[in-house]
Amino acid sequence: MSDQQAIHTYETATARIEEIIRRLDSGEAGLRETLDLLREGRGLVEYCAAELEAVGQGLDELRLDELVARLEAGGR
Amino acid sequence: MSQRPEGIPGSSLKGPFPVGAYADKLRAYLRERARVQLFGEVFNLRIHKVSVFFELRDGDGALPCRMWRDDFDRLGVTLEDGASVVVAGGPDFYPGSRTSSPHFSFAVTGLRLAGEGDLLAQLDLLRKKLDAEGLFAPQKALPRPALPRTIGVVTGEGGKARDDVLAGLRRRGWAGRLVWAFAPVQDRRAAPAITRALQDLAACGEVDVIVVARGGGSLADLLCFCDETLCRTVALLPVPVIASVGHHTDRTILDDVAAVSCSTPTHAAETAVPFHCAQAREALARFARRLDQHGRRAVLDRARVLARLSRAPAQHVARHRSALHQSLRELRAAGRRGVASREALAATHAVVLARKGAAASAEARRAATLERLRLALDAHDPERTLERGFALVESRDGGVVTSAAAAREAGAVRLRFSDAAVDATISQEARHA
Repeated sequence: MSDQQAIHTYETATARIEEIIRRLDSGEAGLRETLDLLREGRGLVEYCAAELEAVGQGLDELRLDELVARLEAGGR
Repeated sequence: MSQRPEGIPGSSLKGPFPVGAYADKLRAYLRERARVQLFGEVFNLRIHKVSVFFELRDGDGALPCRMWRDDFDRLGVTLEDGASVVVAGGPDFYPGSRTSSPHFSFAVTGLRLAGEGDLLAQLDLLRKKLDAEGLFAPQKALPRPALPRTIGVVTGEGGKARDDVLAGLRRRGWAGRLVWAFAPVQDRRAAPAITRALQDLAACGEVDVIVVARGGGSLADLLCFCDETLCRTVALLPVPVIASVGHHTDRTILDDVAAVSCSTPTHAAETAVPFHCAQAREALARFARRLDQHGRRAVLDRARVLARLSRAPAQHVARHRSALHQSLRELRAAGRRGVASREALAATHAVVLARKGAAASAEARRAATLERLRLALDAHDPERTLERGFALVESRDGGVVTSAAAAREAGAVRLRFSDAAVDATISQEARHA
């Protein structure tokens, strides 16, 4: 788990991206701030894309006892 | 009837007897039992065309009851689930037939409403107690992820709720990890089994949200979801629980302690995944495009500004040069206009002067003529003649004497000189000369 994931959930990440875009749309950000915001925004988009990817690979159904056995075996 | 078979070897019990005959004797036996009055609460009331069925229940047990519809209608009471009643009657048994199932019931011959149901009152007390302890709040304070990776579901293995949960998740486009924790959901084993399943799911550490789903049923069927231990466990669980077991009319205590209470398992699944995943992907793609646009613009716009600024000094000089040229042109034009206007003015003045000059020469001519005339007049002026030494001879009466004869005749005359007149007398000699 990256630092970004530790800080953000999907909804806080998307909310922050929207905030960044609003700031960039305003045209008030200087060059350095713009570049920092772009770097942060792209990182958040990657994080959100990974979150969506995790719930888009196909339904993985298992029973509770199977999950417990898997966890006890140290697998995922 | 088939031939009676041999009994179980070694068994000391009588028989075997034909089951139909035994069922018939059992009915007769039960009908001989004492008629009694019982009290309890009505659950699962079903009013059919011929009979009325319900369960008479209290905290320790229950009896299936049946009453003829005619008898029930004659009472004129409005019966509903949870009503506390006193019933009169006795045990009965329907032995069934080749095609119908046997069943036991308490045949009700009389019924009286006895006030609010104790069981419901007990549930209400428990609800108030848990609420007073603040146990309705902790689940609602838990953050629920908008995009859970793993969802736990507690439900009956064969129930329709399972399909409904899957349908709800499909509708959201969610395809993560789903952990099923199957448990009985309506008998006395249900509450401990559900409690254990919830604890196990939360202990896994991977489950982001848990759905407890049941397809519906009477309040009696839902009593397990009012179990105090189960409800206390849910209230203190660190994972949010979405309940979908009750109805609008029959709210269980689990509905109160859970993070969210939903009316159907499908709705519960949709609540567990608030975002539609496909829409979220589209929104994320839009965000990414906007960021890319801003990234390009951040550099290009500034490059354009720099280019504009670098051109600015030359443009500034060119602008000033152009302005100077314009001023020069205007000055020249103004000069030309000034000369032209002065020329016009000078021409006007010349005309005026010429006119004035012409007038002066005419005047001079007139003066010369006058002078000439004056000289001519002066030449004829007797005064001027006198000034040259001539004298004018006048008679006494003022007449001019122009001849010597006239002078002699007059005798006395006046000689007028230019400065004054003197009287004279003509002498005799002159007179006679």
